[in-house]
Amino acid sequence: MRPNTVGWLMLAPTIAILGIFGIIPFIYVLYVSFHQWNPFGASPDMIYNGANNFRRLVFDTEFLTSIAFTMKFAFFAVLSEIALGYLLAQLFMKEFPGRGFFRTIHTLPLIVAPIVVGSVWRLMTTPSIGIIPYLLKSWFGYDLNIGRDATAAFALTVIMDIWHWTPLVTLTLLAALLALPKEPFEQAQIDGANRRQIFWHVTLPMIRPAILATVFIRLMDALRTVDEVWMLTSGGPGAATRFVGLHIWKIVFPKTDYGYGAAISVIVLYLTLVMCWLLYVALVARRERKRTF
Amino acid sequence: MAHVTVTDVTKKYGALPVIHGVGIDIADGEFVVLVGPSGCGKSTLLRMIAGLETISGGTVAIGGRVVNDVLPKDRDIAMVFQNYALYPHKTVADNMGFPLKLKGAPRSEIEAKVRKAADILDLGKLLDRYPKQLSGGQRQRVAMGRAIVRDPQVFLFDEPLSNLDAKLRVTMRVEIKELHQRLKTTTIYVTHDQIEAMTMADKIVVMRDGRVEQIGAPLDLYDRPANVFVAGFIGSPSMNFVPGRLSMASGQVNFVSDKGTVLPVPEGTPDHGEPVIYGIRPEHIDVRPDGLSARISVLEPTGSETQIFAHLGGDPVMAAVRDRVAVTPGDTISFRIDPYRAHLFEARSGRRL
Ligand SMILES: Nc1ncnc2c1ncn2[C@@H]1O[C@H](COP(=O)(O)OP(=O)(O)OP(=O)(O)O)[C@@H](O)[C@H]1O
Ligand SMILES: [Mg+2]
Repeated sequence: MRPNTVGWLMLAPTIAILGIFGIIPFIYVLYVSFHQWNPFGASPDMIYNGANNFRRLVFDTEFLTSIAFTMKFAFFAVLSEIALGYLLAQLFMKEFPGRGFFRTIHTLPLIVAPIVVGSVWRLMTTPSIGIIPYLLKSWFGYDLNIGRDATAAFALTVIMDIWHWTPLVTLTLLAALLALPKEPFEQAQIDGANRRQIFWHVTLPMIRPAILATVFIRLMDALRTVDEVWMLTSGGPGAATRFVGLHIWKIVFPKTDYGYGAAISVIVLYLTLVMCWLLYVALVARRERKRTF
Repeated sequence: MAHVTVTDVTKKYGALPVIHGVGIDIADGEFVVLVGPSGCGKSTLLRMIAGLETISGGTVAIGGRVVNDVLPKDRDIAMVFQNYALYPHKTVADNMGFPLKLKGAPRSEIEAKVRKAADILDLGKLLDRYPKQLSGGQRQRVAMGRAIVRDPQVFLFDEPLSNLDAKLRVTMRVEIKELHQRLKTTTIYVTHDQIEAMTMADKIVVMRDGRVEQIGAPLDLYDRPANVFVAGFIGSPSMNFVPGRLSMASGQVNFVSDKGTVLPVPEGTPDHGEPVIYGIRPEHIDVRPDGLSARISVLEPTGSETQIFAHLGGDPVMAAVRDRVAVTPGDTISFRIDPYRAHLFEARSGRRL
């Protein structure tokens, strides 16, 4: 190995940023998670309390429910986003008048800040002033009240997430589809595959890396959703949409229980990693198998 | 197996016509090569036969059935692409077995057919590899294996050898030919390499700018090219052309080039008032004493033969001789041209006289 001072110098800014904004805070959170620390409480000092925060969390039903809801939310949101995103990507592959225009405007939700998305959806869904309850009422006679109906509130958080993030999936899958060579598809037609078979045997395996990358990105994002849902439902009604991000927020800010909040953050990070790893094993590692007959 | 009939086929991309009425009859079991310079429409024609491009006019029939509106998957053809088009995520065995799997063939049958094709192509050890773990030549063979496994009515090849190095190309050329002799499947093979065309074909179709220039057996095209284009395209090194006229002198017709060189023509050549082009293949010019004297400009010895670039009077010609000649550039050499090997073409239309 030859010494490469210039190379390290070039990397230095990146490493510094990564360190300041990534690694140091992470280690700090890890440190805090082993302490009892409520700076606005009776004893504002940081007191080491071993794994107590983690022990407490295992018996915290609110926390466990929030994890369950978060998983459910992530599952429905990401699955729908991938399916819908793929369909839209395929649509944008086709020639139709105004394709360029639609390709452009469909990405608009992406540039809206989550907090704004949440407020707008709240406006649209507030009973008696929002357009959505109004239309649902006049067309289907359905009373939408996300302040009272837990299922509707949950569904709405999923729909909002789909609205906000499907364009991202469409973009990545569109890029993947555009980069595919056309020969395997022509070959498949000649080999006798119909459209369904081409999808399962050629398209899907070939864009699989892009799909996986998108699933990972979206899954990690969905698991830490806070601001949109906070604006839309504030976690209610009851705890129906109190996803784990909101739970942490409530513990850290209104209750200023920093030690416990840090512990939950660490566990959520750990769970996210485990889930991604499981997904990876299930979907990627399986590839290196033998032939199918 | 089946005969293929292409009748008056045209192709337009939007308003741009690229194939202008092509007709080819291909007999059952025949090996036909479509050859022509880049962009002449060979691939387009082949893809229309495969069903990958729509046919703008005319008909394509496979085994007597017009297939213009038949999907590629229902045409019972196999195609090998220039870049092989293997499925990157499938093993060699799965690549080869895929067409059968799609048909719902039982596992044992797929296994047996893949095994057999693998034996023919010497792929037995590679069956569990992925395409990215193969060399170009091996990929090429897998692509052919996938075609063989199908046992289709027609094989279509689009420049299957052009990504291989020169030596491998020769080997694969022989392999494909052997394969054809063994399977006797009707084959349409596209190439821009006239040597491939000459060595492999039962019948060659020479194309230019979306038109057929000549159809015939390889040696027919070599011996009696229908026009200047075919004459120049078939044969390597390519034919010498000298523009000039035929003129009557002392009771005998002779060719006199624009620069004044007199060249021999076969006895009984009719006098022709119009300008003509005189064609003579380099291998039909011999170095003999008492011939036409030429001044050598460049020598290119290749070992098996020597290519002599020289000036006959004012006209540049090239001779390819098998004997080693002890000459250097600047020397004068004596060429003999066999008049019966000369080709005469009408200058205006380029057509053979
Ligand atoms: N999709 C297309 N749109 C418009 N023109 C096209 C299209 N595909 C091919 N062409 C044109 O059709 C003509 C024939 O193309 P083709 O690919 O058949 O040539 P080719 O004989 O196979 O050449 P090569 O030896 O380089 O492969 C070319 O002039 C090409 O520019
Ligand atoms: Mg081509």
